[in-house]
Amino acid sequence: MDYKKRERDRPCKTPIVTHDLTRYYGDLCAVNRLNLEVENEIFGILGPNGSGKTTTVMMLTTLLAPTSGTAEICGYDIHRQPELVRKMISYVPQDMAVDVRLTGRENVMMYAELYGITDPAQGTRSALKTLDLADRADDFVKTYSGGMRRRLELAQALVHNPQVLFLDEPTVGLDVAARKKIWHHIRYLRETGMSIFVTTHYMDEADRYCDRVAIIDKGIVKAIDTPDRLKSLISHDIVTATISGIYSGFAIPGVTYAESRGDELVFFAQNGEKALPQILDALAVQGLSILAMSIRRPSLDDVFLHLTASSDEDAGPFNLSTFRNILGRRG
Amino acid sequence: MNAILVYCRRDLIRWIRGRWGFISALVTPAAWLIFVGLALPIRFTDDYIDFVTPGILVMSTLTASLQGGGLLILDRMLGFFTKFLALPAPRESILFGKILVIMIRGLIQSTIILILAFLLGATLYNPYQLFITYLILIIFGALLSSFTTTLAIYIGDHDSYAAVNAMISMPLFFTSTAMMPYSVMPEWMRIPAAVNPLSFAIDGIRIVQEGIFPLVQIGLLSGMCLLLMLISVRAFRRVKL
Repeated sequence: MDYKKRERDRPCKTPIVTHDLTRYYGDLCAVNRLNLEVENEIFGILGPNGSGKTTTVMMLTTLLAPTSGTAEICGYDIHRQPELVRKMISYVPQDMAVDVRLTGRENVMMYAELYGITDPAQGTRSALKTLDLADRADDFVKTYSGGMRRRLELAQALVHNPQVLFLDEPTVGLDVAARKKIWHHIRYLRETGMSIFVTTHYMDEADRYCDRVAIIDKGIVKAIDTPDRLKSLISHDIVTATISGIYSGFAIPGVTYAESRGDELVFFAQNGEKALPQILDALAVQGLSILAMSIRRPSLDDVFLHLTASSDEDAGPFNLSTFRNILGRRG
Repeated sequence: MNAILVYCRRDLIRWIRGRWGFISALVTPAAWLIFVGLALPIRFTDDYIDFVTPGILVMSTLTASLQGGGLLILDRMLGFFTKFLALPAPRESILFGKILVIMIRGLIQSTIILILAFLLGATLYNPYQLFITYLILIIFGALLSSFTTTLAIYIGDHDSYAAVNAMISMPLFFTSTAMMPYSVMPEWMRIPAAVNPLSFAIDGIRIVQEGIFPLVQIGLLSGMCLLLMLISVRAFRRVKL
């Protein structure tokens, strides 16, 4: 079956709409008044571990009850019509779960039957073919690599041709080539009219493959836009300096200190070429030895830092360890 | 194909292909029958194997049923349960799939026990007695596996489940009529033995060998089974992680 030609039962223009979606774990607010509208696109939700990504996905897939607020998937309310919501979606959780004692085909066939599609054998065949698994279909999954297992999960998820595909960290733990392949498949699915809601903490992947990105931190959405427009939020250049010694701050007009990553200091500068020698001098005055310096255009990483730092003045932007501990297993 | 059968087939294939679980399920009942049935120095009857076979049948069903919860715990820990819950198939079919797979495993074991018992010299059951015996084992198995599978939703991890499992199965087995009749029990044990669902099943199988239809036992077990299934279905429909 060709995924492009298949008619969807109920095409919907805005497959995901959330209204003040909120979830507390005790006193801890994991997701705070989330308002999103996702169309036929690859929508990335980007944030560090423990920022509320998985919680959001679990609420949208009816696995977790929101504390308040609601959401509609293809017009169906997650509170009142969970069964209909589940008919519209597929969900691939973060933990890989495929039966190693079953063959690839048996694994997908099982889902085809559980989804109740009309011709499970044919559906399974075409899903396996789409994910480039046809030649290994009858091998036990035991013998599959991590990337193949992830693709097998995608095959399971798309065997009933869902309207919305939820992917929680689809590339975590995979090597570069396997990641690229997964994203290539995700893009192909988007072209067939599927909406894809994907969580990731890899900024570079979100940048390269997502149509729109929501940056979320501590359960709050900081910005939603295309990666390019998000990057243009920062009109500054990024200057980094690798030093040995303790940095104690300086004041140069047009330069702001962003963070330090190990030995590396990161600065935002209005004009990178001009700022670099000034920073070099200022650091040298402090008696630090400078090992390397560089100038680059902002990446999504920097946007993230910029957005989260502004709301979090007392500490560095990556002071998330406490939050992560409280949240425990929820990634 | 019905979702219940799909879930059941998955667990059966995994069980058989896993080999050791399968082999152990075939060997353990034989060990019980030989080491308990033939070796215990018993004075209250000359045909202890006749007496103890129903006890071992029900005990094997108990052990098999407790594994039902174990299956769900593993599905949960490995992430399968999350995926299943997000599927459009009715969620209670996960429960019934587990009950069915436990029932099939239990009946395979029971059949082996019966064949062995007859080979070891137990009095043969007639077809009617066999039918009632299997019926009781099915109802009892459904009752217990429904209970343990639902319990597994609320007990998150494997260690805790194993602990609860041991806590339930040991007292339940030893306060039942599996090993001895009411007449030789200490006085204080007769009351727990008489309200123990294990005893209902064991007594039922024994009564039918005497040519009486065990109406009370089957009635009680069926009632409990229906009630627990209703509770379990509700629990499965409402599951949130």
